Amino acid sequence: MNRPLRLFIDIGSWLITVAITLVGLAALTFFIGRVLPIDPVLSIVGEKATPEVYQRVYLELGLDKPLWAQFWDYLGKLLRGDFGTSFSTSRPVLTDLLNFFPATLELSTIGLIIGVVLGVPMGVASAYWHEKWPDHVLRVVGLVGYSVPVFWLGLVGLFIFYYLLGWVSGPGQLDVFYVGVVKRITGSILIDSAIAGEWDIFFNAISHMTLPALLLGYYSLAYISRMTRSVMLDQLSREYVLTARLKGASEFRAVAGHALRNAAIPLVTVIALSYGGLLEGSVLIETIFSWPGIGNYIYSSLFAADMNAVLGGTLLVGVVFVLLNMLSDVLYRALDPRSREFAR
Amino acid sequence: MRLFKTLMAVAVGAVMTASGAIAETPKNTLVIADAIDDIITLDPAEVSEVGGVLASQQIYQPLVSFDPADPTKINGVLAESWSVSEDGKTFTFKMNPNAKFASGNPVTAADAEYSLQRVILLDSRISFILTQFGLNKDNVKDNIKAVDPQTLQLVVDQKYAPSFVLYVLSSFTGGIVDSAVVKQHEGKREDGSNDYGNAWLKAENSAGSGPYVLTKWDPKVSILLSRNENYWGTAPGVDRVFLQHMPESATQRLALEKGDIDIANKLGPDDIGAVSANPDVQILEGVSSTMYYFGLNVRNPALANPKVVEAIKYGVDYQGIADTIGKGTIKVHQTMIPDGFLGGGINYNPYSLDIEKAKALIAESGVATPIKLATVVWNVPPYPDYAQAVQATLSQIGVDLDLQVVDGGPWLDRYRSHDLDVWFGLWGPDYPDPHSNAKAFGNHDPSDPDGQKGNLADRFGWDSGKVSELVNQAVQEQDVEKRKALYDEAQRLHTDTSPFVFMFQDSRKVSMRKNVKGVVLGITFSDDRYGGVSKE
Repeated sequence: MNRPLRLFIDIGSWLITVAITLVGLAALTFFIGRVLPIDPVLSIVGEKATPEVYQRVYLELGLDKPLWAQFWDYLGKLLRGDFGTSFSTSRPVLTDLLNFFPATLELSTIGLIIGVVLGVPMGVASAYWHEKWPDHVLRVVGLVGYSVPVFWLGLVGLFIFYYLLGWVSGPGQLDVFYVGVVKRITGSILIDSAIAGEWDIFFNAISHMTLPALLLGYYSLAYISRMTRSVMLDQLSREYVLTARLKGASEFRAVAGHALRNAAIPLVTVIALSYGGLLEGSVLIETIFSWPGIGNYIYSSLFAADMNAVLGGTLLVGVVFVLLNMLSDVLYRALDPRSREFAR
Repeated sequence: MRLFKTLMAVAVGAVMTASGAIAETPKNTLVIADAIDDIITLDPAEVSEVGGVLASQQIYQPLVSFDPADPTKINGVLAESWSVSEDGKTFTFKMNPNAKFASGNPVTAADAEYSLQRVILLDSRISFILTQFGLNKDNVKDNIKAVDPQTLQLVVDQKYAPSFVLYVLSSFTGGIVDSAVVKQHEGKREDGSNDYGNAWLKAENSAGSGPYVLTKWDPKVSILLSRNENYWGTAPGVDRVFLQHMPESATQRLALEKGDIDIANKLGPDDIGAVSANPDVQILEGVSSTMYYFGLNVRNPALANPKVVEAIKYGVDYQGIADTIGKGTIKVHQTMIPDGFLGGGINYNPYSLDIEKAKALIAESGVATPIKLATVVWNVPPYPDYAQAVQATLSQIGVDLDLQVVDGGPWLDRYRSHDLDVWFGLWGPDYPDPHSNAKAFGNHDPSDPDGQKGNLADRFGWDSGKVSELVNQAVQEQDVEKRKALYDEAQRLHTDTSPFVFMFQDSRKVSMRKNVKGVVLGITFSDDRYGGVSKE
């Protein structure tokens, strides 16, 4: 088969997979949302409203239609880019997602960078000094991040570094007098304030972000270092590392140049998945730090039975996961020549 | 390279703040931490969430209000004076000529007419507050009418106590909007009907006459109010009020002690205890009209026996729960009208934990023990704690509560149904008049045996008999003192005979920085007033 055609088929089948995944996700969240014992009408009208008001809202939400018809309507709207209106913010869900997602993206990206920059060397060191004291120390550090509830860690962090020491700013994205000063362009407060040249706001934002980002970083480093360690252990015991050493390669070259290069391939997937985890799993961090992110949005919408918002948010997270998977596939191929051979 | 820069930026930021770059809240801004993710609207015609009412009360004003320190005193706000016709059905308000809106427009009777009518015409979820006067879409244009620019007439369907009507109008539902401005922004709803500016008022806009105007509302994140430059009353001492969404009590506490917020509105009992030791923090105590109770469904044969009901009332350790779980945030209150309301404060708390007496009463009742009762409670603190404490003592008298801790939805579903045994709940009045509570707990509507219209007495299957008569007499009584006496009698009878076990009334405790002056705590939920606030 010639190459362009092969590529075409690849992309085509990938798109079909993505489409099926997303429709499946939409269906799953939709039907779970409908069978949950929560009454969306009630959350809008309150328990003291008259039956007439209840009925009006019931019809407005289209709840009188059969379930499959409601889902069909919903899918149709999705295809037109209409996620519906969130009753708890009175804005289109899409607007809300664009409003809340950048804050999460910003926080978890920095968290991931911290996690990778610290976690990978930790995992390598751990594997290199396997079962020696550096390994034990690093594993305990990782274990704490893995097993201590992030919620508790957040409060302790706030207490020490914000309240006692005053090294970082407290909850929220900015100090009060900076809120709304910078024009919203990308939604990322760091980028927007940098574009505006408002450097004191930029640094204020960093100061607010430091603690939650470090916590998220710690959280992901725990996972990344653990995976790095096991992948590296596997690589270091391989013959090619021994060969390299016998050939007189320096220890650094043998470990970083040879073993880590090969370990990088599975690690790409680990890192991509851990990014996805950070994006969706920072609900607790966002709650403690009053961070206006997507986790907070989905969480409070769920409690308000604001199903359009919940569905929209879940779909967004689903899309992100699919995209990350795709990215890790691409990187996998780029890094591993064998997978390219195979594809041909 | 980019990575390196980002890391540098993080490092620089950390150093910056370590060198003391953290500032206190600005003098001209009042920063309030609260859980505001429940707010779905700030339009006074439909607002009813705790946070939403709190914000909209700073923006919109009613015709009449009352003094939170002495709620029996009703005073004019946008209305200067009022009178009631001989038959008690027609209320005539003279508008205050000094009042004007943030736009600079004078407040006229036409604005009041438009504002009150739109509550009904919008089919608003809080329209029940006004429809109880017999108002509906068909008659509202005749019954709420501006006779001339300075005179508004309200016609109600029967004779009511004037204080009742006035208290209702003083509630958040009675907020008056600038009709000239809102009419310009009227749109269509999905079903094609007029939205009376509802969408516009929900989208970061306001049109009120209160001390503040809405500047920015970022749903689930923050609300920024700015001083109304055209305010016709005494201007507030701060330029801005900033409500920040900060749901965690522990986080609020740290931010308050640190000085990053001025007022912490959602501190739990433990954190209030902790901050009270801080010399920079003051605790304002107020009255809250929220009450905790549990209801017994008398359709259950065991609960239909008055001796069993009485036994259960003796099987609750009221004071113990208030001391150990409530820690000063609640006080024992066993009557249906909260302290602070007209007719409240009669201090009638006849029950306390008495296991022997309760056991004797059960024995007298002839009902076989153990009496098993299905019970639901909301899974949000402190409700389950109260319920579990009650469960523990009741088990000693042979009453077993099968306690289900459930989500808000199922909890309310059970409440609305009539097949439950015991329901743990709370009640917050919708308007600062005793009738809000008296009607719910004491009124019996024979045409509505399941309580679909919202009467709790009927939901729990109770024919309140004499209490119902007293309640209906009281709401029509023209003389305030006589009305008070009627509520006194109704409450004692209710406490003695009803299947409702009133336990506590909330004591409001709000923690704020020492330098904040002039906050007035309201008596209904979220009626706190920031119009007179200043910071030293």
